[in-house]
Amino acid sequence: MQPEAIELTLPAGREWHAVARLVLGGVADRLNLSFEDLDDLQLAVERLLVEAASQDTVMLQIDVVDHGVRVGVGPLAERTIADALQGPDAEPGELTLRRILQTVVDSFGVENTEGGIVVRLQKAVRGR
Amino acid sequence: MDRARAEVDRDLLRRYHEQGDVGAREELVERHLPLVRSLARRFAGRGESLEDLEQVGAIGLIKAIDRFEMSREVALTSYATPNVVGEIKRHFRDRGSAIRIPRNLKELSAKLGKAMERLTALQGRSPTIAELATELDTTPEQVLEALEAGSARSTVSLSGGPDADDLDPMEVVGEEDTGYERAEDRASLEPAIGTLAERERDILRMRFEDGMTQSQIAERVGVSQMHVSRLIRKSIDQLRDELL
Repeated sequence: MQPEAIELTLPAGREWHAVARLVLGGVADRLNLSFEDLDDLQLAVERLLVEAASQDTVMLQIDVVDHGVRVGVGPLAERTIADALQGPDAEPGELTLRRILQTVVDSFGVENTEGGIVVRLQKAVRGR
Repeated sequence: MDRARAEVDRDLLRRYHEQGDVGAREELVERHLPLVRSLARRFAGRGESLEDLEQVGAIGLIKAIDRFEMSREVALTSYATPNVVGEIKRHFRDRGSAIRIPRNLKELSAKLGKAMERLTALQGRSPTIAELATELDTTPEQVLEALEAGSARSTVSLSGGPDADDLDPMEVVGEEDTGYERAEDRASLEPAIGTLAERERDILRMRFEDGMTQSQIAERVGVSQMHVSRLIRKSIDQLRDELL
């Protein structure tokens, strides 16, 4: 079976986030992801793209996996994001990037690469 | 926002407005040019040079300083931000270079919210893009474009949305702070939560602490699911902008 994957390198500026959202939307349509699940995934990716604002470009690696989609965002030069994502859970009343990702995707992880960190997000397609 | 910085601003504003000290006004402009540059950068890549946008934004800053009322309990950065953004947006409109959303997409965007509510109620779950397309007798691609055309979903849209309650995020973009050195804080939005309106705070709590879905929040708060989505984005953007 052919791997179903998309790689997208885009400028890191906010004006390009719409392109990322549209691509994710296209993938979500093909996977029958609900609007809410798509919106969650888009939010997660947007928050990571915002963290890449000081870079020239950022890459999205989108892989269709069993019953879902996996999205890698990076490399992000700002390595403190890794600490924030791997740190302790947010306290009540506190909103952190980690808390946001915990809420909107099914799982996430951080991978260290030469150029920075890559955050991997996974979102499942819910049964209908 | 750095309290000491706000107090210096206030002192300069007082000197300018109450004593006519134009030197204080110039100092205020200098102090807030980084804010103007930061806001101008958000509109970069749209056919206008960054330098031009910064100059236009600086006009907005000067207007904000001149119009500031000392009786207002608000920081100059909070007051100036919408003025600067407004001036830049006016510039784009005057130059005719703002993004134009085709009428059919605007109309489709306006119908999406209602279709979403209808299908959610009917099916007891959030609809897929394909279901929305079928409901609206259009293609999934058009639905995705219409979602994007709903201005508040785009963090840099220059156009107003089709619904009266649509929020243009550039109107609510947060202020720039001087704390660039606080890189360790970049992932924590907590310190700025107090700056949000009560409804926005409640929505963030329901979504990120109580784990409620957008549909559940929409029902609780009495707005559409798409509006909840917009408010969440707007609030997070605002929080982050307060910090950086």
